Amino acid sequence: MSRNKVLAITAAVIFLGAVIWCAVILLKPKSNIVNITQDGTLLYSLDLSREKDRTFTVEYKDRKNTIEIKDGRIRMLEAECPDHICVDTGWLEDVPIVCLPNRLVIDHADKTDTDAQTR
Amino acid sequence: MDRKSAVFTARLITYIVLIIMLIAQTSCGKDEKNNDVKKSDESFFAMDTYITVTAYGENSDEAVKAAENKITALEKLWSVTDQNSEVYAANHNGTAGLSDDTAELVRFALDMCDTTDGALDISLYPVLTAWGFTTDEHHVPTDAELAALLENVGYDRITLDGNTLTVPDGVQIDLGAVGKGYAGDLAVQELKANGITSALLDLGGNIQTIGTKPDGSTWKIGVRSPYGDGSFATVSVKDKAVITSGGYERYFEENGEVYWHILDPKTGKPAHSGLLSVTVIGDEGRLCDSLSTSLFVMGIDRAEQLWKERMDFDFIAVSEKGDIYITEGIKNDFELSESYKGLNVSVIK
Repeated sequence: MSRNKVLAITAAVIFLGAVIWCAVILLKPKSNIVNITQDGTLLYSLDLSREKDRTFTVEYKDRKNTIEIKDGRIRMLEAECPDHICVDTGWLEDVPIVCLPNRLVIDHADKTDTDAQTR
Repeated sequence: MDRKSAVFTARLITYIVLIIMLIAQTSCGKDEKNNDVKKSDESFFAMDTYITVTAYGENSDEAVKAAENKITALEKLWSVTDQNSEVYAANHNGTAGLSDDTAELVRFALDMCDTTDGALDISLYPVLTAWGFTTDEHHVPTDAELAALLENVGYDRITLDGNTLTVPDGVQIDLGAVGKGYAGDLAVQELKANGITSALLDLGGNIQTIGTKPDGSTWKIGVRSPYGDGSFATVSVKDKAVITSGGYERYFEENGEVYWHILDPKTGKPAHSGLLSVTVIGDEGRLCDSLSTSLFVMGIDRAEQLWKERMDFDFIAVSEKGDIYITEGIKNDFELSESYKGLNVSVIK
């Protein structure tokens, strides 16, 4: 093979690579990143579109919060706190799930259509 | 093809590919229009809630920090339970010298108690405590208990002379219904003093905005549905506070009955005026905060009347029947969410 052909083929391969790469970026399934923070510290950053169904616990001053991931959704399953507001919030939608007594917050990493919610 | 022109063609292709890759790199993926504007945000717990301050612009790091510091400082002055707070001092010593920020807040709050004819009453704290809303140890007080407690309720017994606050024996004040809104206003001032012209503050669902988004478009604020987690509508605002009060925020059930935290100062019982939630949109957080609570207590007719008298705010109310009332001023900035398109919206003129 001549040097020129090698050059041309290399160029073509790079070009194709660029096209495929572009397609991959544009067609990538929408990720759904959720951050779990405690007292301002990020504990977990999870992509719900990739997470397996599971439950796990987070502790705060000997009190436990149990978080459930199921079918690409997330919620506070149980909480050792007096008010259970976080459990009552249900699956994460627009409103962040907040457990005030245990300083725990589950929220979308990047918010969608609206900028905030008044409640 | 001679060798020279073949080399030339190959080089040409290589350059074209490189240029395409460069373009691909900068244009692939979603277009973020505001990539060049610096954004800073900070989330923290204060005033019994979860607060997020987001600001755009050169100085946004310093500005957000300043706003956070302001809010945490105000919490120390206004907390009912912190033994070092000015409110605690007034409640427990009967009189207290207030800082300028606290004095201004009390002055405004007393004025709003008057304006709303007592639908807002900052001396309701002992009744709220009896229901357990301050400690989450819920309990339904008897009528006799409530009658005894209501003896000590009455904002007109509280006097503010300059910066000196006097609270009679047995009376206790709590600035909860106005404080978060005013803290938002003072945080907004702090951000503006640091050169910020675009910001969004979320004080546990009290939304306050500065200017527009960096790209010049309005802020889209979802309004929480009283029936579930989602938003039943969106309001588009700039430079406004958007604050909601609803029975769903804090409540408990006993013997099949729901008791929520917004109490009618006249009865000491959860307010049942026919409304499930009220959202107030206006220039100042303190006005919106105090009105969202008091309009909820007043009901739609008195709310409409007050709106016509003042005209310095707008509101969105959801009734127990599922009807929506909005005032004329926000008609064009209000939009029902997809799944709530069937709701009946009446425009108050």
